[in-house]
Amino acid sequence: MKYRKPARDERTIINRALAQWGVFDALKDSTLIVREDGKSRQACLVTPELEAAIANINPLFCGLAVGDLAKHFQPTMEGADLFARLSGGGRNYVVVGENAEKLVLYGRDVMGDSVISAADLSENELVIITNRAGEALGIGRTRFAGKSMMQKGRITVTTVVDAGRYLREEDGERQAKMSRSPRRRRS
Amino acid sequence: MVLLFPQSPRGDALARKYGYDPWLVSRFLQYVPDVEQFLDKMESKPTRYIRVNTLKMDTKSLADRLAKKGFELRQTALPEVLAVEKEPMSAGATTEYMLGHYYLQDLSSCMAVEALDVQKGQKVLDMAAAPGGKTTFIAQRMQNTGAIIALEPNEKRARSMAFNLARLGVFNTCVCKMDGLEAAKLGKFDRVLLDAPCSCEGVIAKDPSRKTSHAPEDVDYCSARQANLLETAIKATKLGGVVVYSTCSFAPEENEAVVETVTGKLGARVEPFGHGSAGLDSFGDKKFRMGKNTRRFYPHLHDTTGFFVARLRA
Repeated sequence: MKYRKPARDERTIINRALAQWGVFDALKDSTLIVREDGKSRQACLVTPELEAAIANINPLFCGLAVGDLAKHFQPTMEGADLFARLSGGGRNYVVVGENAEKLVLYGRDVMGDSVISAADLSENELVIITNRAGEALGIGRTRFAGKSMMQKGRITVTTVVDAGRYLREEDGERQAKMSRSPRRRRS
Repeated sequence: MVLLFPQSPRGDALARKYGYDPWLVSRFLQYVPDVEQFLDKMESKPTRYIRVNTLKMDTKSLADRLAKKGFELRQTALPEVLAVEKEPMSAGATTEYMLGHYYLQDLSSCMAVEALDVQKGQKVLDMAAAPGGKTTFIAQRMQNTGAIIALEPNEKRARSMAFNLARLGVFNTCVCKMDGLEAAKLGKFDRVLLDAPCSCEGVIAKDPSRKTSHAPEDVDYCSARQANLLETAIKATKLGGVVVYSTCSFAPEENEAVVETVTGKLGARVEPFGHGSAGLDSFGDKKFRMGKNTRRFYPHLHDTTGFFVARLRA
């Protein structure tokens, strides 16, 4: 695992993404570094003090991974959460009602009936799914464009990742472990 | 060496009644106030606490949201920590929990961070950090500024911890796969938290198997390792900085005795701290000069899991 400053082209990709998600002004002066493991790269938000502190150590994890870096930038769930809180919504944010909130957190796709607001989006666009309070529930991809996003009886956003996923996985792992290893007592 | 006391009819009767190994109860009789109330309390489900993640949500807003869902919450001694008096659904299954608005954490555990008294911009070391409850609380008390270096030797636990940091929106922290004993090579810190691996006697109410699953030798083993870790912690702290040593054990050998040995050797002093009960100033023939300044948390007195906190000035 290696952490380093972003290269110029990476900084450009990151800046474009920050603008796309409506957080360029909020994050333009923040410290972002790149985590690289040979196979993938992630942009991580850190404090200047943390960046300095890891100069001579090799951490497994550092800061908040806000997005995966490839040809384009794709926000992570944590990035989506941060962007939603900082931006207060905007284009690329789809707001869903209370009933859909829980379903998205359990990985379900979004029905058009549940969409409260969606900007003039195109088909196959990456969006952050939020609740009415503007909190990120998941990241999804639109299946329709424009007003069709709110059509009844159809799934209009495919949920790609949701904020409840890791907790579900961890819970499943814990239960599997418990069923495998009965508690031993000292005789 | 762990101190063992002769068994007594009363101790044996209590051990039988509550299902403990007799050696453990005979020790409790030496230093735990109101032992029967204590053992009774350990039979009941511990109070659940939530610690509001103020990086994402203020305490009042969260309390209002949970109240609308039927939760009844009570304020505690710490402004971010609420006791759950009624939960219509598991507090670990709400939308707010999934979104990282709060963390399930015992009040006693939060006291270690309270004692650390972190300030914005500081450099902090968390020597035994997973699963990250205290680390994330430190981060929120620092308002996501400065730097926290969190150590965890087990990679799987480190990954799990990284998830907790991410879920709670922490970005001033890194996680290193490293044993706390190696901390000397990381330089000097303003604050060091050592929540030391221990025999976990304090969590018997959550895990009753611990009534019989550990032996006196386990306490000895933990105590020796804790002393080495605390020595490392003090050496990693800037002059005038603060080290907090904590365990979730009741055993004096893991608590006051460790503090006594290491402060005697390195010259750090134990500062008073305004929560919990005073620690022990003696146990058997052992005297603890600064024991009264350390703090103990008992389930029947403080409505928390068992905990020990010492705040040391380097």
